[in-house]
Amino acid sequence: MIGLLSYLVFFVTEALVNFIAVLGLNVQWGFAGLFNVGVAGFIGIGAYVSALLTAPPWYGPPGPGHVGGLGLPVLVGWLGAMLAAAGAAAVVALATLRLRADYLAIGTFGIAVALQELAANAQGLTGGPFGIAFIPHLLAFVPPGGLVRGLLDLATTAVAAGAAWFAIDRVTAGPFGRALRALAQDEAAAASLGCEPRRLRIQAMALGAAAMGLAGAVQASLIGYIAPDNFVPVLTFQIWAMLVVGGMGSHRGALVGAFAVWGLWSAAGALFAVVLPASMATGGASLRIVAIGVAIAASLLLRPRGLSPPGRIVSRFLRERLKTSRPGRGGLPPARR
Amino acid sequence: MTALTVENIVAGYESGMPIVRDVSFSLDAGEIVTVIGPNGAGKSTLTKAIAGLVPERTGCVLMDGKPITAPAHALAHVGIAFVPQTENVFTRLTIRENLQIGAALLPRARRAGRIDAVLDMFPDLATRPTLAAGRLSGGQRQMLAIARALIAEPRVLLLDEPSAGLSPALVEGVFSSIAAIAAGGVSVALVEQNVAAALRIAHRALVLVEGRVAHDGPADPLRSGKLLARLFLGGTGDDPVT
Amino acid sequence: MNPQFLADGILTGALLGLGGVGLTLTYSILRFANFVHGDFLTAGAYLALVLAGVLSQFLGGDGIGPFSFGWPLILALPIAMAATGVLALLLDWMLFRRLRRRGEEIVLVMASFGASLALRSLIEFAFTPEPKYYSQDLQIALPLGFGVRATPDQLAVVALAAASGLVLHVLLTRTAVGRAMRAVAENPDLARVAGIDPARVVRTTWWLGGGLAALAGVFLGLTVQIRPYMGFDLLLPLFAGVIVGGVGSVPGALAGGMIVGIAEALAVPIIGAAWRGGVAFLLLLAVLLVRPQGLFGMER
Repeated sequence: MIGLLSYLVFFVTEALVNFIAVLGLNVQWGFAGLFNVGVAGFIGIGAYVSALLTAPPWYGPPGPGHVGGLGLPVLVGWLGAMLAAAGAAAVVALATLRLRADYLAIGTFGIAVALQELAANAQGLTGGPFGIAFIPHLLAFVPPGGLVRGLLDLATTAVAAGAAWFAIDRVTAGPFGRALRALAQDEAAAASLGCEPRRLRIQAMALGAAAMGLAGAVQASLIGYIAPDNFVPVLTFQIWAMLVVGGMGSHRGALVGAFAVWGLWSAAGALFAVVLPASMATGGASLRIVAIGVAIAASLLLRPRGLSPPGRIVSRFLRERLKTSRPGRGGLPPARR
Repeated sequence: MTALTVENIVAGYESGMPIVRDVSFSLDAGEIVTVIGPNGAGKSTLTKAIAGLVPERTGCVLMDGKPITAPAHALAHVGIAFVPQTENVFTRLTIRENLQIGAALLPRARRAGRIDAVLDMFPDLATRPTLAAGRLSGGQRQMLAIARALIAEPRVLLLDEPSAGLSPALVEGVFSSIAAIAAGGVSVALVEQNVAAALRIAHRALVLVEGRVAHDGPADPLRSGKLLARLFLGGTGDDPVT
Repeated sequence: MNPQFLADGILTGALLGLGGVGLTLTYSILRFANFVHGDFLTAGAYLALVLAGVLSQFLGGDGIGPFSFGWPLILALPIAMAATGVLALLLDWMLFRRLRRRGEEIVLVMASFGASLALRSLIEFAFTPEPKYYSQDLQIALPLGFGVRATPDQLAVVALAAASGLVLHVLLTRTAVGRAMRAVAENPDLARVAGIDPARVVRTTWWLGGGLAALAGVFLGLTVQIRPYMGFDLLLPLFAGVIVGGVGSVPGALAGGMIVGIAEALAVPIIGAAWRGGVAFLLLLAVLLVRPQGLFGMER
């Protein structure tokens, strides 16, 4: 009974960590229409930067050129993680955003691949394939293991997730969010009203990446250990699945999607572990990824607005007008070229 | 003899917001019909709708009395050629390649001969056929666009503001080419802002106001301008001219 | 500088060029960055592996002359190319065609990202992550002068890649199909008005893109190894090559692939073999900042 409860607490904690990253992706894609294929990269940047800032100087396997951790307070590590991820996102956005939309996709993909290489090969800095261990926990004074620690973990993660939600909701509900939505619907019109498309998009990229960085940092200090394998493309994909399933552009949808997809993912893992013989464990892991890939493609085809879609109307005035005209597609006519 | 018939076209870029509202007209063989009207009347949208390039469209386009139901690219195959107002040549292809694209509608044996014949018609293009079309001047581009449309010997030519952006001297040249083309039996629907020039060569005029046909009749009476002014301002052609 | 690195770079560059040609075609004509393209390489390599395995039952598995491969692989190659083309068409029919109608390019990119992951994992499920080889024979590298050595297989791959690039260039510039493809890439509406059936051009593009990806995949399998991630790991250098050369340009894709391949190889003695993706990424960012239309591209 305690075991099941512990697992449930752990499950919710992990879902909440994912939710923080989905919030970031929602700013980028749901509000600004920016396609980020390197979510795992930004989460990874957050995890590694926070680990390097907070880990003790003697962490990891000693070797030539070993650079130690700085041993700073955990919250400083989280802040650094957000800043580093935001900075990386801003650089990619700066280079690609004056071009076609899919150049950003390729650029962010590049970030993720580069981070993978850096994590796997820069032994002195990242521990290489061994990763970084002994990342300090926020609540290091509570003895690890047991339900109490689990509940406290859940509480701190919930506070972090709630803070991220509150902050991002404040920003996106205000003028910044309105400008972003206007931009996504009709760039020329938005620009003529004084929005600077490029600057707004770079800011949205950076804000979203900051949330992803925070998710990485929170996860790193929860588990205490990170390795390159934690930040493979499948992670990008899970976060995307959560957003797509939940409904793009809605923070509540991000929460729904995070729990739904994380639940499915965990359940599929458990199911394959029971059904398939141990010799096919790797095969089961592959099938699980196939399932989530098909789920994304199918929901793009069948439910392009997600389980919990947002009201995508910029102003109340338009909402009233559209009610009287034709329901359904909503929004303004799409910009033509 | 009627070549092209357009029946009850309603068209726009979003459903529920039509720009062309119920337009019908027909085009005889060798006839030039100019489509004129105030800005925003839906003239360009009308030609695009006939050519099948507008997302929301209802109504019917008939060639020789037979409705065309096939997708947009089939129009060229039944002899309807369309020259858009802008982006009407493939800038990254050479002059000759642009013509070859048009000639692909013909039987293989006739292609080379028709390309040579059209190059004879437009000597400006014949001097450097391997030049990329993107490097042509505005007038030359317009000529190439028309040449590309003509090469497969269409029976109906839809022209969307061929005089836009051209100097007055070039406009003269383009319009006399159009008159010559129609004299050869091709029906021409000519959307124009340059009303005076269009009325000089047109047999008939279709006045479009707010997406509807306000007047459909011979071009001659409109040349005086008084009737035209009244039509553009929303009157009807039936009132006595004062 | 050691000329051997340059030779290795030319081999990688030839593979990247060949893979990139298919990517640049689908990119410019279908108008989206197709993340499945890397996995088309993988699919082609595995299809050829299976087919060659079956064929060697009848034809024997010996290599021809100095090469490690024999008739089974030579016959399997065109079949694998066609089958990968069919795979690409099938994916288009099930997924991309429907999304294209809705008209949001970036949703297509996302769907391709999903399809890429699913296809790759499916291959991993079917064939296990263990690397495979077309032949267990070890080839001896021949000295070519200036201290450069290359295996006969590597030489054949470079020659065939160059020949394929040439054939494709002729196809695009000298035939009606090629003109139609270039026309649709530049202006789909005008192409339709001019009587070109866009659906046919799209089909041709998938055939060519899938087939060339399979060719590159088999060559990659022949000179390195066959793994479920072989194509995906190549995707970033492929994109880099396409953008360096200019999206939509076939000579550009070949030259861009060569530039990325050589740049990676030259970086090896300086910073080590593990950083090749990073090199491609930096090259990509540099081109986007300095000359975003690429070497051979035109302003869009």
